[in-house]
Amino acid sequence: MMEEMGKDELLKKWLSDDITNAELHEFKQKSDYDLDSAIIENAKHFKASHFSKVKSFNEFKQVLDPLEKNNVKKLHFYKPLLRIAAVFLIGFGIYYSFFQSNLTSIKTLASQKTTFELPDASSVTLNSLSKVDYNIKKWSKKREILLEGEAFFKVAKGSKFDVKTSGGVVSVLGTQFTVKQRDNYFEVKCYEGIVGVKSTNKSLQLTKGKTFRILNGVTLLDSIDIDSPNWLNDKSYFKSVPLLEVINEFERQYNVKISTQNVDKNRLFTGGFVHNNIEQALVSITIPFNLNYKRENKNEITLYSSE
Amino acid sequence: MSENVCEEKVFSIVYNEYAKDLHDFLYYKYGTALSVEDKVQEAFIKLWKNCKDVTKSKAKGFVFMVAKNMMLNEIKHQKIVLKYLEVKPKNYTNETPEFLLEKDEFLKKYQNALASLTEDQRVAFLLNKTEGKKHQEIADMLGLTKKVVEYRIYSAFKIIKSKIKELK
Repeated sequence: MMEEMGKDELLKKWLSDDITNAELHEFKQKSDYDLDSAIIENAKHFKASHFSKVKSFNEFKQVLDPLEKNNVKKLHFYKPLLRIAAVFLIGFGIYYSFFQSNLTSIKTLASQKTTFELPDASSVTLNSLSKVDYNIKKWSKKREILLEGEAFFKVAKGSKFDVKTSGGVVSVLGTQFTVKQRDNYFEVKCYEGIVGVKSTNKSLQLTKGKTFRILNGVTLLDSIDIDSPNWLNDKSYFKSVPLLEVINEFERQYNVKISTQNVDKNRLFTGGFVHNNIEQALVSITIPFNLNYKRENKNEITLYSSE
Repeated sequence: MSENVCEEKVFSIVYNEYAKDLHDFLYYKYGTALSVEDKVQEAFIKLWKNCKDVTKSKAKGFVFMVAKNMMLNEIKHQKIVLKYLEVKPKNYTNETPEFLLEKDEFLKKYQNALASLTEDQRVAFLLNKTEGKKHQEIADMLGLTKKVVEYRIYSAFKIIKSKIKELK
């Protein structure tokens, strides 16, 4: 009887991962330890995400849209101009206070980059067409910043620092990393320290030199070749990224519109382009795929296949 | 100004933080008997419809409560099935066919054992041993104490072990 009770206590400790080395050694001497450890080892065969996955937030949004038509509460996501004008005129007071916010917003336009400091001396560099929001007054209590687009962070050591995007949440304790969130493209690169990434179906830790990406629902874990993002030095570099994304970044950096003819934009591109010489940059992105370009006017470019 | 979840940014943050946990909780509770994806979606749609009345800090409790209260009459008499990943021969180059067969039989018994647990035992056990969540995390998620979670996992383990030992 005593022996049984002792065994049970050890079992409870073992199951709680709250067992000393000596106790563990004793536990392993049991004749059926192999079965015990097989049960724990094989639990992973039943993992939910192997068989059923939850939708990404963007997919979920698609579901909400048709519901609008059935007289469910109107979404604020899409605001036809006409509707804003009406609300503005009719309910100025209510409208104004609803959107009144304690958040500080910083954003960049196309061809723009900017660096600024947060209240704790952490620094943020925004790439083009990006935006962040944060609460200065609450910063000392909670370091939380909302991001749309792409930014490089140098985080001062301190309490947990969270970067929240619609693609996922990145948490760090004092390090250097980039977070990129564009359409269907969520990417985190860690240059120093360790960052925690939480996205709809994944939760992981990235160490220095590693990058994590979700592109059109496909995840990729890889190594980074360099010490800090190229775009800080006015260059963009891509490793096996669809041409479509390369073109999107080109448009953001040079503030141009690119159209294509007979070009497969899903082809993967490895290479880069500079941000300060458009002719050179165009050559960099067209030559590898045997494409040509035509500058229609100052802001419009067409890429086409030369075959 | 309290952040209610009607703002897309706030709502998307809540979604990204809790959708997976809610999904796993429902899957481990009901298995493949219902479409867990649909139920998660239902819960978040309900959150959206009530977004004016739910602050960000209450959102998690809200969706879990909705999920727990879901009327699940349709699965009352269905057997609980939790799928398992089969053993792939190419990953086990040294093992004999007999070993692979034994392993598959083991997993089948394990699957039946999981089905025989109470929902509470199964959810606690799988969230801990399959998802790797700590006891305190599970306690917070389900609104329980750590002791209760430990006890459920312990009970689950003993039942699984005894079922597997049982001869066919």
